[in-house]
Amino acid sequence: MSQEIAVVGSPDFTTGFRLAGVRKFYNVESEDADELDDAVREVARDEDVGIVVMHDDDVAELSREPRSIVDTSIEPTFVTLGGGAGSGGLREQIKRAIGIDLMDED
Amino acid sequence: MAKDVKPTRKNLMAIEDRIELSERGHDTLEQKRDGLIMEFMDILDKAQDVRGGMEEDYQTAQKKINMARAMEGDVTVRGAAAALKEHPEITTESNNIMGVVVPQIESSKVKKSLDERGYGVLGTSARIDEAAEAYEDLLESIILAAEVETAMKKMLKEIETTKRRVNALEFKLLPELYNNQEYIEQKLEEQEREEIFRLKKIKDKKEAEEKAEEEAAREAEAEAAETVDAD
Repeated sequence: MSQEIAVVGSPDFTTGFRLAGVRKFYNVESEDADELDDAVREVARDEDVGIVVMHDDDVAELSREPRSIVDTSIEPTFVTLGGGAGSGGLREQIKRAIGIDLMDED
Repeated sequence: MAKDVKPTRKNLMAIEDRIELSERGHDTLEQKRDGLIMEFMDILDKAQDVRGGMEEDYQTAQKKINMARAMEGDVTVRGAAAALKEHPEITTESNNIMGVVVPQIESSKVKKSLDERGYGVLGTSARIDEAAEAYEDLLESIILAAEVETAMKKMLKEIETTKRRVNALEFKLLPELYNNQEYIEQKLEEQEREEIFRLKKIKDKKEAEEKAEEEAAREAEAEAAETVDAD
C-alpha cells in the first residue's frame, strides 16, 4: 500500500515541502492553537498518510491529547524538525522504558 | 493470600509445578528484555546519526528557500510550490527484530528531475530549483528518520511490556507462589506432627489400659490364691 507524506505547520514551513512535491499540507497560523490541534487529529485519522512532518515549536504548542498522538503514534509516524537531535517525546519514552536517559550527552 | 490455599499435597504439587514454569518464563523473558535493549542501543545510535543529518538538511533547505523567497518573491515561490505534479509516495514493508515488527519504508518519486517538477522553467529561476532540490534531500532523510523512529517507538513499547512482565513475575507472582508453598509445607508438617502425637496418645492410652487389665488380672489371681490359702 502506498502512502503519502503530510506537512502540518505555518505556511512558511509547508511551502518548502510543497516545492518538493508533498501534496497533503495543513496550513496553520501559529497563533491559533485550536486549529493546530484539529489539524493533528485530522492528519492522524487520514489513512493515506504515512509520515507527518511538523516543526518542533508547533508540537510544543499542542494541547495534551494531540501531543500524545504526536509522541506515540506509529501510523502515521510524526517526525519533528528544528528541535535538535533527540528531541520530542522519544527521550521521555526511553527514560521510562529503559530507566536511563540515553540521550543525555547532547 | 497465603491463607487462601488448601494445605493439601495435591495443591503443593500444583504450586511446585507453577513455580517451575514461572521461573522458566521469568528467565526467558529476562533474556528477551536484555536482547531487546541491545538491539535498541544499535538503533539508537543510528537514529541519532539520522537525526543529526536531518537537522542539517533542514537548515540548508531553509536557507535555500529563504534565498529563493528573497530573490523571487514569496508569491512566485508559492506559485511554483502549488504547481508540483509528481508526489512522493512511500510504501511500508515490515521487518522483524526479536518479535517486534518494525517498518521498512521505501520511497519513490522523492527525487525529481527538472521537467518532472511541473512548474515552468522559464518563469522561475535556479534558486527555486535549488530550494526544491534541498527539500527533496530533506524529505529523503525525513523518511529515513521516520523509519528509524517508528522502529524505536515500537521497540520501546515492547521493552516496556517485557520489563513489566519480568517484574510482575519476579516481584509479585513468584513471591506469592513461594509463600503458598511454604505455608502448605508448614501446614503439612504440622499435620504430620499432630498425627504422630495422636498416635502416641492412643498408644499410651492402650498401654495404660493393658496395664490396668493386667493389674486387675493379677489382683484377681492374688485374691484367688488367698481364698485357696484360707481354705
